[in-house]
Amino acid sequence: MREAATVQHDHSAVATRPATVVATNVGKVFGSGASAVRALEDVSFDVPQGSFVSILGPSGCGKSTLLRLIAGLQPLTSGEIAVNDHTPDEMRKAREFGIVFQQPILFDWRTVEQNVALPLQLIGTPKEERKRRVGEMIELVGLGDFRKHRPWQLSGGMQQRVAIARALAFGPRFLMMDEPFGALDMMTRERMQTELLRIWASRPGTTIVFITHSISEAVLLSDRIVVMSARPGRVMRVIDVEIERPRTDEVRKDERFLEIEAEIRDLIFSQEHA
Amino acid sequence: MIDQGYNRTREAMITAAIVIGVFAIWYLAAGIVAAGDDPLANAKLPYPHVIVERFFDDFSSVMSAAWTSLSTALLGFALGTAVGVVLSVVMVQAAWIESALMPYLLAAQMVPMIALVPISQTIFKNDTATRLFISAFITLFSVTVAVVRGLKAAPPPARELMKSYNAGRLRTLRYLDLPAAMPMLFSGLRVAAPLSLVGSVLVDLMGGSQGLGYLMLAAQTFGPAQATLVWVAMFVLLALGFLLAQAVVMAEKILAPWQPAMRQGSN
Repeated sequence: MREAATVQHDHSAVATRPATVVATNVGKVFGSGASAVRALEDVSFDVPQGSFVSILGPSGCGKSTLLRLIAGLQPLTSGEIAVNDHTPDEMRKAREFGIVFQQPILFDWRTVEQNVALPLQLIGTPKEERKRRVGEMIELVGLGDFRKHRPWQLSGGMQQRVAIARALAFGPRFLMMDEPFGALDMMTRERMQTELLRIWASRPGTTIVFITHSISEAVLLSDRIVVMSARPGRVMRVIDVEIERPRTDEVRKDERFLEIEAEIRDLIFSQEHA
Repeated sequence: MIDQGYNRTREAMITAAIVIGVFAIWYLAAGIVAAGDDPLANAKLPYPHVIVERFFDDFSSVMSAAWTSLSTALLGFALGTAVGVVLSVVMVQAAWIESALMPYLLAAQMVPMIALVPISQTIFKNDTATRLFISAFITLFSVTVAVVRGLKAAPPPARELMKSYNAGRLRTLRYLDLPAAMPMLFSGLRVAAPLSLVGSVLVDLMGGSQGLGYLMLAAQTFGPAQATLVWVAMFVLLALGFLLAQAVVMAEKILAPWQPAMRQGSN
């Protein structure tokens, strides 16, 4: 557990920050022989330290697979991924990845508090320390009044807040999010986006890798966007978003925001009509 | 709330009507049998109140027989459940273990009890041990099949989550798979509970010298006058089976209250 407060957010230009995740010619094939499916091909990009990187693409572009490769949940077929000069598997074993899926995946037999405590319990954090951290996390995601509730008593957005609290509870250096707001309604989704930025601002040094198929979501949140094409998944372009932080809902009307959004839209649609 | 109260009252009334209807038909049928010239009418279909009287007349011997059946069934049930859960955990460790063991489990379930009881009697040479074995044997199958399914119930991302915490097999089992399997375990237990009782009684019927089955068999050999005792034993067996099933439901409400069907205050 690092003391997060000593690290400051890096506000230098995205391209000048040191890379923490380096993906080089990554390929992933599922199955073998005639039924083999090439999910990813020749994928290369960097994730700068302490930044917010979105992987954006249509469904079937292998973006969720890519997240799993970085987090050490699946082996690569070819190429290389280095995370702080270690393999993803080594970093997973060192518990450096907090993961949030599209579904909250909360355990129904545990209360909100117990769900957030799960990773700490598995790591063997002492009880007092565990209590303190869980309380802190639940306050951070704004669920102070729901500690003893069961997951099914919460709305979808609240459940996803619990999942975020759980992912951050053990102080991982990386927050890996696989379309975390994909199952939420539009209004809840926009609220959760600004909430995420607020939560992230309180955890300086944390690097976020965020999977999405929403262009505006990617532009609003990210320092860098990796735009992918489908079947097999390839990197079409890597775009740095130099809009200063903190960003609020107002950014949605910002000229640069609209420009980048249009650029990505053109990129994706030119691909589809090709 | 008003609707709920109304529904509950209606439900209770329907239940009462069915009970009254069953007794009415019974009395009517018993009356018809008794109206004939058959001197054995009372042995064929006695009036319900005759059965109740008989229950109190032979209270101590009925209770001791019931205790024999219930206690061995409960022990066998517990034993079968324990072995079944352990076996399930072993089976889900690898697909090849499951596909290697499942056929034997299914085959074991197809062995006719009528063949298995005498064989186990010659092996154990002891009624209590045989009762335990048969009850456990019957329980084992329902529990294992259900728990194997339950242990696979957790969605793949839940497993990935545990992997991201670097939790090994044992911890994944303890914190994820076993709790996730609880609803299936209880659905297996609900089926197995009454069957374990039937298994115990079956041993009495096939040469045992105690228990509710023995009571039925003995009553029959002592002639038609004892026939009401067969009815008594049968109803006691039914009541015990029902109580056992209810006990499982109660245990489930205490141990696995998070399931959708048992939630209170959910949206």
